[in-house]
Amino acid sequence: MVEEEGRIASNCNEVFVWPHCDLTFINSLSARKSYFLPMDRSDVMRGAKAIITEVGELVGFTGRFFREAFRSRFEWRELVRQCYLNGYRSLPLVAITAFIMGLVLTVQSRPTLARFGAETMLPAMVAISVVREIAPVITALICAGKIGSSIGAELGSMKVTEQIDAMEVSGTNPFKFLVVTRIWSTILMLPLLVILADAIAIWACFIGVNMKGAVTWQLFQQQVFDSLVFSDVLPALIKSIFFGLAIGVVGCYKGYNTEKGTEGVGRSAHSAVVVASLVIFILDLVAVQVTEIMGLN
Amino acid sequence: MAGAIDSKMRPTVGVEREVVIRLRDLRKAFGTNKVLKGFDLDVHRGENVMVLGKSGSGKSVLIKCIVGLLRPDQGQVMVLGQDVYALGQDDLDHLRVRIGFLFQSSALYDSMTVRENLEFPLRRHWFAQSAEERDALVKEALENVGLEHTADLYPSELSGGMRRRIGLARTLILKPEIVLYDEPTTGLDPITGKEIVELILRLQKKYGTSSVIISHDLNVAKLAANRIAVLMDGRNYVEGSYDELRSMQDPVVQQFFIFM
Repeated sequence: MVEEEGRIASNCNEVFVWPHCDLTFINSLSARKSYFLPMDRSDVMRGAKAIITEVGELVGFTGRFFREAFRSRFEWRELVRQCYLNGYRSLPLVAITAFIMGLVLTVQSRPTLARFGAETMLPAMVAISVVREIAPVITALICAGKIGSSIGAELGSMKVTEQIDAMEVSGTNPFKFLVVTRIWSTILMLPLLVILADAIAIWACFIGVNMKGAVTWQLFQQQVFDSLVFSDVLPALIKSIFFGLAIGVVGCYKGYNTEKGTEGVGRSAHSAVVVASLVIFILDLVAVQVTEIMGLN
Repeated sequence: MAGAIDSKMRPTVGVEREVVIRLRDLRKAFGTNKVLKGFDLDVHRGENVMVLGKSGSGKSVLIKCIVGLLRPDQGQVMVLGQDVYALGQDDLDHLRVRIGFLFQSSALYDSMTVRENLEFPLRRHWFAQSAEERDALVKEALENVGLEHTADLYPSELSGGMRRRIGLARTLILKPEIVLYDEPTTGLDPITGKEIVELILRLQKKYGTSSVIISHDLNVAKLAANRIAVLMDGRNYVEGSYDELRSMQDPVVQQFFIFM
């Protein structure tokens, strides 16, 4: 295997290494073959150690946020500015996505429901799907892309241009000014964006239902609200608070610990999105299990 | 005079004055790369000390150790009579208000206007201050550096020299007792560089600050430094005035004067 690896490597034209995946991809034009080769065991161990270290640091960073978040001398002006940037400025993207999501879900679900003669269940089905799962997760993923990357890039750029050091030497706590305000803003804004996404997606559902039928707004509303119960709405909103926390913490952690100049800024922005998205899915899975155990599903 | 100097052999100039910065046996390594290997330095009140060294010799590491941005592996950093690394965070923040730091890149906050950059430290340290008092201090700081018209501009709208001046105005707005300059003229043309040095000297005279200037630029040394410490191989290799160093026959010292 070692010899084969050596031969392939010597004839190869392209070699790509993904240390985090423990894989090396070799595209050999002369052999007209492509290979994925696993790294040796020490690389795997090193990768595992790096992941465990990063998770530990992320948990420590979250702990520091909670310690600083309730200490006096709060940066209210900066919090309002961050809520405007992370909440208000995300409205158009969230609104458009929610509208398309509600409309597409309605149009695509209709044939299946019609086959079982349950077309009248369409508003209820879409409303429950949107409120319980789709709106919180899709909104969180959009915000992970938009807000997470912008926080990662902004703090990363401040780090490499010594702006964070400048705050520290002026006797100001940069963590409190930069990190605490940003994380609070994502925690506060995510549930609001999710509520907005719920409303717009349900309104889009009304349009979708009326594309091939005639349902009045009053009847549609009645069908939607009769189907929704408290245990549909509350877990989804609680979940979105944790999604907001994850987006803020990951974005700030990646940006605040940026190294290696402008290249590092790009890497921070990119990894903030990847890690935040992954954490959102993990939290979603945990939330489903918790609501199942509590008998809320 | 050539060769590494012992603390006891350090020139007695200014001994009678208060020592505002005292560095003893400062050591710092990054992995296997030993940057500082026992650096000693005293800075007296009202004095301009320049640390001269080649690129990558550890000058910026040294200045960051003084202000608590980098923790040395060993050694003592006393600033204004306080051991920087024995202080708690709140005490360190109070001490930092008495120290100004001009970064090489100016480090102006991109998302804030010039006025907001100058107000940033004021809002956080002089809580009782009214808006009128803040405006007056901002106006005074901008007048000091001759850039009154830039208050509402963003850092991205300023030239390199203007950014350095605004950085200096922000550094001095809390009236620090000590100012640390990290490569104040690097990246500037000689004319702007000279203007910055003249500005530093004028403001130092006005506010009576003590300074540590980190640079490899001998023009800065000639114009601004009362005393020069040569940082070589992680140690304080030699100290003296510009003229004393200029007249030394030591090849290590002479290499700095090669283009003079």
